[in-house]
Amino acid sequence: MARRRFEVPIKRNQSFTLNITSMTDMFTILLVFLLQSFAAGEIHIDPVSGLRLPTSTSEKNPVIGIKLAISPTELRFEDKSIAKVNNQNIETAAMDPNDSNFIKPLFDELQKVNEKNEKLAKTGKILLQADQELPFSTVRKVMYTASMAGFPNVKLVTTVGN
Amino acid sequence: MRKRFKMNINHNSEFELDLAPLLAVMVKLVPVLLLSSAFVQMMIIETELPQVVQEAIKQQENNPKATQISLEVNKQQGVKIVIHEGESDKVELVNNKDNKIDLETLHAKLVEVKKQYPEIFKIDLTPEADVSYKDLVSIMDQARKAKGSNLQFKFKDTKTGKESSTDYMFPEIVFSNVMDG
Repeated sequence: MARRRFEVPIKRNQSFTLNITSMTDMFTILLVFLLQSFAAGEIHIDPVSGLRLPTSTSEKNPVIGIKLAISPTELRFEDKSIAKVNNQNIETAAMDPNDSNFIKPLFDELQKVNEKNEKLAKTGKILLQADQELPFSTVRKVMYTASMAGFPNVKLVTTVGN
Repeated sequence: MRKRFKMNINHNSEFELDLAPLLAVMVKLVPVLLLSSAFVQMMIIETELPQVVQEAIKQQENNPKATQISLEVNKQQGVKIVIHEGESDKVELVNNKDNKIDLETLHAKLVEVKKQYPEIFKIDLTPEADVSYKDLVSIMDQARKAKGSNLQFKFKDTKTGKESSTDYMFPEIVFSNVMDG
């Protein structure tokens, strides 16, 4: 008797069911966590690259003001870099030769705000992000220049911690 | 002969739950929330205070003869608490511990000072040029509020004359040497 050739039946147009239980699980947990920590605040402060903020027990949310940031490498006014920082000090080219605490480009930018944005200028508020390792002498220069430009109200931005 | 059509009612029927819309909402919401979520919560050191405390600070500012308290911060020596009362000055030094500012001792000493002068809410901070920014923020934290839930300082409300209490110590901090040359 001749052997029957065993042919493997190949089913075409086969469909398969996708098990998405674990994906739904993951999405549910992620959604609940993100909804719980959703930050819907009016004021948005962008962290600056290379800048480590000090921690504080302060519980006050940020307010409207001009954003300044001093990182270990640069001084930023809003989103613009206005001066370099070398060895934890503002570069000499940006300082006034007659006043060792006066930062010229910062004063110029604040003067522009005084002229163009009266509402913001009236608040006199500055949100200052500074790297935690910077010496007070560098931070003082920014505060001094801001005071001279009519912005004496400096708010120090910190991260939450003990 | 008509056959009677009998409806088959299956009382144990199962139904399939359509999760497609739910999944669609989740897939849209999760990226939006991920982009807007704040993993690093930023706060500011601000001085929004209860009204009675604000009034006390105003009173202190209007009276030049009022007692003034200042903190002189030196990186090597530590923190000097100076109380200017009339023509005399009382000085107390908080030495460094392990080459760092002894924050616990500083806080304890500030609590003692606050108990002696409960109506004073403003303090002058005079750091040396080489003191680091994070040390200053830590000192401000130690001076702002009393730690421990039971500690309250009683003082007289200048407007009503009634006695009030607060756990704030020195929330108004002024960098007194910013404008110096």
